[in-house]
Amino acid sequence: MSGTMTLFVVVALGAIGWIVARARATRMQAEAGRLATNSLPSQHGWYVALWTALPALVFLAVWANVTPALVLDSVLQAPAAQALPADGFTRSAILGEARAIASGAQAAAFNPQSMTLVEPFRDAARHYGGMGALLAVILAFAGGAYALSRVRPAFTARRRIEKLVMWLLLGASLIAIVTTAGIVGSLLFESMRFFSMVNPLDFLTGLKWSPQSAAMGYGNEDAFGAVPLFWGTIFIGAIIAMVVAIPLGLMSAVYLTQYARPQVRKWMKPTLEVLAGVPTVVYGYFAALTVAPALRSFAAAVGIPGASSESALAAGLVMGVMIIPFVSSMADDSIAAVPQAMRDGSLAMGATTSETIRRVLIPAALPGVVGGVLLAVSRAIGETMIVVMAAGLAANLTLNPFASVTTVTTQMVQLLTGDQEFDSAKTLAAFALGLVLFVVTLLLNIVALRVVKKYREAYE
Amino acid sequence: MTGQAALTPHGATPGAAPAPRIAAPTDWRGEAMRRRIARRYAAERRFRLMGLAAVLLSAGFLAFLLVTMVGNGARGFTRTQIALPIDFQRSAILIDPALLTGGNAEQALAGANLPAVIDKAAETAFGENGARMISPAAQTAVRKAIIADPAILTGTATITVPASEGIDVAAKGQGSAANEAAVARLQQAGALSTGLNLRFLTASDGTDPTLVGIWGALKGSLLTMAVTLALSFPVGVFAALYLEEYAPRNRWTDLIEVSINNLAAVPSIIFGLLGLAIFLNLMHLPRSAPLVGGMTLALMTMPVIVIAGRNAIKAVPPSIRDAALGIGASPVQVVFHHVLPLALPGILTGTIIGMARALGETAPLLMIGMRAFVASPPHGVMDPASVLPVQIFLWSDEVGHGFIEKTSAAIIVLLAFLLTMNSIAIYLRNKFEKKW
Amino acid sequence: MADMQHIPNVKMSAQGVNVLYGEKQAIRDVSIEVDLENVTALIGPSGCGKSTFLRTLNRMNDTVSGARVEGRITLDGDDIYGADMDVVQLRARVGMVFQKPNPFPKSIYENVAYGPRIHGLAHGKADLDEIVEKSLRRAGLWDEVKDRLHESGTALSGGQQQRLCIGRAIAVEPEVILMDEPCSALDPIATARIEELILDLRGNYAIVIVTHNMQQAARVSQHTAFFHLGRLVEQGPTTEIFTNPREERTKDYITGRYG
Repeated sequence: MSGTMTLFVVVALGAIGWIVARARATRMQAEAGRLATNSLPSQHGWYVALWTALPALVFLAVWANVTPALVLDSVLQAPAAQALPADGFTRSAILGEARAIASGAQAAAFNPQSMTLVEPFRDAARHYGGMGALLAVILAFAGGAYALSRVRPAFTARRRIEKLVMWLLLGASLIAIVTTAGIVGSLLFESMRFFSMVNPLDFLTGLKWSPQSAAMGYGNEDAFGAVPLFWGTIFIGAIIAMVVAIPLGLMSAVYLTQYARPQVRKWMKPTLEVLAGVPTVVYGYFAALTVAPALRSFAAAVGIPGASSESALAAGLVMGVMIIPFVSSMADDSIAAVPQAMRDGSLAMGATTSETIRRVLIPAALPGVVGGVLLAVSRAIGETMIVVMAAGLAANLTLNPFASVTTVTTQMVQLLTGDQEFDSAKTLAAFALGLVLFVVTLLLNIVALRVVKKYREAYE
Repeated sequence: MTGQAALTPHGATPGAAPAPRIAAPTDWRGEAMRRRIARRYAAERRFRLMGLAAVLLSAGFLAFLLVTMVGNGARGFTRTQIALPIDFQRSAILIDPALLTGGNAEQALAGANLPAVIDKAAETAFGENGARMISPAAQTAVRKAIIADPAILTGTATITVPASEGIDVAAKGQGSAANEAAVARLQQAGALSTGLNLRFLTASDGTDPTLVGIWGALKGSLLTMAVTLALSFPVGVFAALYLEEYAPRNRWTDLIEVSINNLAAVPSIIFGLLGLAIFLNLMHLPRSAPLVGGMTLALMTMPVIVIAGRNAIKAVPPSIRDAALGIGASPVQVVFHHVLPLALPGILTGTIIGMARALGETAPLLMIGMRAFVASPPHGVMDPASVLPVQIFLWSDEVGHGFIEKTSAAIIVLLAFLLTMNSIAIYLRNKFEKKW
Repeated sequence: MADMQHIPNVKMSAQGVNVLYGEKQAIRDVSIEVDLENVTALIGPSGCGKSTFLRTLNRMNDTVSGARVEGRITLDGDDIYGADMDVVQLRARVGMVFQKPNPFPKSIYENVAYGPRIHGLAHGKADLDEIVEKSLRRAGLWDEVKDRLHESGTALSGGQQQRLCIGRAIAVEPEVILMDEPCSALDPIATARIEELILDLRGNYAIVIVTHNMQQAARVSQHTAFFHLGRLVEQGPTTEIFTNPREERTKDYITGRYG
């Protein structure tokens, strides 16, 4: 019996359990009277169905995870396995190939020796598969019988099902914690391995970044100084992008909330929000294809030295445009949160609208705006595709926006794509960079949310 | 009471009984004041203009981006074709005509030496460079023509085949001088035409820009999104229900909330690292598969759905819960019979927006190995696959004009999907938005 | 002061004023005059339109979209809705104090200096300091805040905030001060301070006050207008309105039958 078939049988048994239990409960109710029974017939049905299917399904899930090891064990007992080479790599390649052919994922063998192992694999898989299916069906019958025996007028099937539902809901929300723990755990674990090869201080303060040379065996000293990466990230994400996004975003928000007619606002606001919805890979392509060459020709025309076709400015400008809607919507919210009385108070003194905005509304909304900018910065420094496609790979410590710089995210992509061996300092460095990025964006977010929250409270 | 005091500005002792004005009323009609007001109004106009300029600049950038993409990409949907006369009788085609009548005609032709035949025909028709004017995709066109009418094998037939990248780009006005000249010759011969590039919508990645299509990546995206939706929607909705309806106020609940809010702000590439470390290195799931991509993106999308879901659930007025509780519904029934149906439009809106974000996401997928060259569409979630944004990224690295227009065309397809999804979200929001 | 009394010192005058919000008419045919000697109180039940009317006097209704004002309102004989009336100037000349104190989230000093600054009324720092001090003295707040002028205005108590707002209004040298229920958010002691201040300001500034509180109207005003359902039911000297109203509705309201 194949896995899918077993699954189907278990679910079908559950459905049968549902029908039987419901019929039984209905009959019971007819005898005992509606008010004498605690739960509805369908609730009894669900109770039985769950008892039938759930334990069997859980068993199948566990079984599916342990069988590969059991199968492998029994295959290695087979006579054909005695001929396997001792060398770990070829050995596992042959075994893997045999397994793939046995399961039908692969049609023909690259290594003839694996053909000899296909039959043992098939036999073992059939053996353990059949055993699992049998056990699952027995479990399903046992669970169903037990539950069916409990169907009584006074039995609180509803409360039990609801309890299960509650556990399900709680379980779903715990996934968030598990994910967070997974992120922190994997980043920390891999970073620790990295820091056992490279001194953390060298990593955080070193000025030279050349993981390629480390990979080629020149040693890890001096190769993993991440400061040029940090600088590139800040230069593009926190400086150039913000120089674009803050004035444009803020002024757009001011115009749309304070000046524009409702009709204009109704259309322009979603239009600007489209900027946030364009995939970053599109921005990246646009930056690399259109903006960067234009900037380089411009730099060449006015004689700026060191102009590169992958410039910090191109990536930063385009990223700034991407960030405009974030700044604008945060500014919008913050300005809207300033009480109308404040605006009236200023207008009533004879201030013009722009004086009111510049001298009262924006100063009053400043904490909210600052919070929004911090969120935008955290978004910008974690952005990957634009910098991967437009910023370049040269780890330069430069103030020239026309030169090429590299960023944390660019290097993470660079280190982890292509051939990886998973324990070299080069690949592990990506996790260390990820850890730094994670911590910094987390801090920025916490600070930003604090600031915004405090500001909201001030006007409530 | 103090009328005369009004005439003595800056005068009386403050606080004394006949309280004065602090100064005489301002002379608003004076020349200086009038000039000042004019200046203030000018500043007002300037400020307003700056605001307008900011809005227009932002919108203008969007327009510029879209126009560039559409301008480059529209050509990706068309192709240049060449009418190629092939003398099948004289070319030594290695095929048994009997095979062509059965269902295995495709396979039989795939084994025939069609590429050589085509190259030969092109050289005969257009000179020694002829073979280089024809796309490798010409094979398919010739194959189709033969299957449609096996009789042509006994004579000469003129078959319309796609032109090579060089000719295609030159015909669209951006080629090299040599290719421009070739195009001019072909045009004179009347062999050149423009047709719809259907192959772009049905093929997968390839090595030649005239061969490539987005179907493989599109199917990969759809599979990935299916996995993402199947995982993140139930988990997101359940978590939102729990937090909004049942969660007790305690440290654990706070921890869950903090986690969700932080996850929503974690850079997407970090999720890629998580997927790499857990799904690939720990659980040994296949690299580059929609399953892993979908799981990674689901973790990223889940917080978005939770946050949108909580807002939608919060918007359901307590009176409805009270009414249901009042007629004896259990807390679970209240939520699943009343609150959830009422909150569903809001949850769906949030889900679509989250899915749109996931559909455009590239960086985490690069981390889990989804940057491979995949030349056939995936058949299931375990097969190696590409997705649209990654395909765009891969093509953007290729040089040559042929790939530029294909990249932009793929971007148009991606944007069309995103636009549709967002329009549906906006429509849902407007249609079901209730004011309680 | 005797010579002032027979000079007809009409500062603002409204004739046949209607206010419409879209289709809804909030004010119907209101005519009233405001002069320097008398504090004018606008009373009436909530929703009767008295605040709306007050806001027409310095065109604050302009900020409400869809609001329309008909009729004629003049300041020193000039139509304030006329084409050559500048709204910025108008609001500088007709100051306003709001129901809820609304100091700007700036220092006390900056709150008061705001108006003189934007209108360019001060010539140099010393001049500005003087205006701030005088305005705060005038508003009866100086002694309480002179040592902490650079603390935030929002840190003051409610009553102090409202006096700060009055001081802020005075600093621009207005000719008329409109007060929209200035004491409704304050405790009795703070209210008493504001009322003293109003009595003190009378004669230099034409004052119009909207109030809910009958006793307050009786205490601070010399002229009272009773609004009901958007109409001006009755107006006249305060003593007369309160002791001998001509209209039955006025009497009912004043004696507390409704409101």
